[in-house]
Amino acid sequence: MKLKVKLTSAVSAIALSLTAVAVQADVLFWSTQAKPVEEAQAMRDQVLSGADMAVDYQPNDGGPWLTRLNAELQASSGSIGVLGALHGDFSAMDDADLVDLGSMGVASASATFNELAKLGTGDMQYIPWMQASYIMAASKEALPYLPEGADIDALTYDQLIAWAGNIKEATGEAKFGFPAGPKGLKHRFFQGYLYPSYTNGVVRTFASDEAVTAWEKMRELWAVTNPASTNFSFLQEQLLNGDAWIAFDHTSRLAGAFNERPDDFVAFPAPAGPTGRGFMPVIAGVAIPRTAPDMEASKAVVAHMLKPETQLATLRATNFFPVVDVELPGDLPPAVQAAGGAVAKMSGSADANPGLLPAGLGAKGGDFNRVFVDSFERIVLAGQDIRTVLDDQKGKLAAIMNETSAPCWAPDAPSEGACPVE
Amino acid sequence: MTMVSSAPRDPRRTGRYVYATAVFLLCAWVLGPLYLLFVNTLSSPEAVNSFPKTYVPEFNFESIEFFMEFAGMTGALWNSIQVATLTMIMSILVGAPAGYALSRFEFKGKETFRILILLTRAFPLPLLALPLAVLFIRTGLDDTIFGLALVHTTLAVPFAVLITFSLFSGIPMELEEAAWTLGCNRLTAFIKVVLPLILPGITASAIFAFVISWNEVFAAAVLTIENRTLTAFLLQNLDTSALHLKFAGGFILVVPALIFIFAVRKYLFAMWGIANR
Repeated sequence: MKLKVKLTSAVSAIALSLTAVAVQADVLFWSTQAKPVEEAQAMRDQVLSGADMAVDYQPNDGGPWLTRLNAELQASSGSIGVLGALHGDFSAMDDADLVDLGSMGVASASATFNELAKLGTGDMQYIPWMQASYIMAASKEALPYLPEGADIDALTYDQLIAWAGNIKEATGEAKFGFPAGPKGLKHRFFQGYLYPSYTNGVVRTFASDEAVTAWEKMRELWAVTNPASTNFSFLQEQLLNGDAWIAFDHTSRLAGAFNERPDDFVAFPAPAGPTGRGFMPVIAGVAIPRTAPDMEASKAVVAHMLKPETQLATLRATNFFPVVDVELPGDLPPAVQAAGGAVAKMSGSADANPGLLPAGLGAKGGDFNRVFVDSFERIVLAGQDIRTVLDDQKGKLAAIMNETSAPCWAPDAPSEGACPVE
Repeated sequence: MTMVSSAPRDPRRTGRYVYATAVFLLCAWVLGPLYLLFVNTLSSPEAVNSFPKTYVPEFNFESIEFFMEFAGMTGALWNSIQVATLTMIMSILVGAPAGYALSRFEFKGKETFRILILLTRAFPLPLLALPLAVLFIRTGLDDTIFGLALVHTTLAVPFAVLITFSLFSGIPMELEEAAWTLGCNRLTAFIKVVLPLILPGITASAIFAFVISWNEVFAAAVLTIENRTLTAFLLQNLDTSALHLKFAGGFILVVPALIFIFAVRKYLFAMWGIANR
């Protein structure tokens, strides 16, 4: 009998201590960003340690991130307090599942970003958190081969192709690196750089005659591209080991090269085509799922992420730039300085033609990317006829647009209803 | 005559060469990558990114030190060990009796049952993870070592059943029957005669279960939050990390599993001894 009493009290003590733990549990920050171990560590040590409450920062692959979130939403009981993800991840979600953050009184300094964060609804579905872009980087070894008269800060696609061609001729190796690997972000190059630069559009002009020219240029560029690029996903690696002398990639995927050997590399704007210098900003946001266990604590974390000093700490940790007005100090890491300069030149150039992230596609975002990746594989890798491929893919693109009835986004001209593929 | 004696080579010697080459290739296949992992883990970041590569470790502990300070590592390692051990025990407890039944008894639908067991591996986890997670959250199994071990057991059971099935089939029924005539009942005959013979095989399927649980990422990442396993904790973040940290992280993931397999290897070799007889 005594033993039984003892056992019962022990069990209830354990149960009590377990619930106690559950009550004081940290706010779970469930993120798809700052995933590399070094960045995750910096997020915990430098960014979130300044918050008033304990935050458990957990970066994940997209699959587990979404599956876990959906499970909590379906079970209507959650442990996730704050979500951190790209604009595209949020736009794939049901807007009823995200708490309206409009009343919080925090927002980014950019009206465009704030509008994007509404995801086509009237409410603030997420708060813009940090931004980045895609830029070019080159090893200083490549600079002597720049074509005559070319300004590295105002290159054209033809000059870029000539430059990489000069290097191939001189060294016998193709040294342009392109993120065409399985985890590479090649589709963003087509959507935000090649298409806006050649066709002044993405969806409307997908199969236009200008698009045929664009893909012809892509073929020329591929001829002077390191053929191993189909394995490259983080060009900082290839810059560091010399497989690529010139590279296009996401700023945070080039950061490693600049931070490791700052004197060996230069960052510069993406090239320009006949219709301007296309480039694409990347936006990550923070949101709160409706199942968050402690809404007040979650909102406090979101507010913390938007403070100027937190934004600077985030910049140091992840190489993603602030979305609020903040003076950048002089002692930033080399990668941040290099990328910051290149992005500023790119967006400030006279012929700048910014393309926004695809919006309003919902869960079809992946299919939308697939259209561009498939076109690349068929036209450039498999050498199929450009016109045939574009006419073929056009149908798939039109189906996606009609199904989601997503309106056009810049640089495509605005549309009534679904953006048409012309 | 002299011509004839010199012409044909001893076929056995050729066989030995083939054998030696095969052994060498197999060893290189396993040891080569492990050695490279080891060298690059103990090299400075500059050395890892430079070319040509060195093949001698410089005993630079920078990468390892990073992980030593990485928050939550030891907790995740401990969770991994707990889940893997629990998976091992449960898959044997479920798998071995099923294997015994398959080899000793005739029953309706036996063949179908054998195929059905394999079917648990036919559905990809990402497909099952969502309903599983919903169920786990509702039942309170969510974020527990036991809940994750249950999922891993499901993955490991087919191997446990099939391995133990072939082991039981390899032990003559007569041995058991002899034990019955000498005063054993079914249970004691099993414990005193059959179990000692198949123990090595049990170890083998235990190793399978351990490794399956150790390597599984998706379910672990979705079903645990606070109690993450080492693989869920590290693996999905390593693919986007710097090269020297990839090597060090890989090393950290591999070593505990290697230690475990070394610890139980003699049982495994004993099983191969049975197979050879």
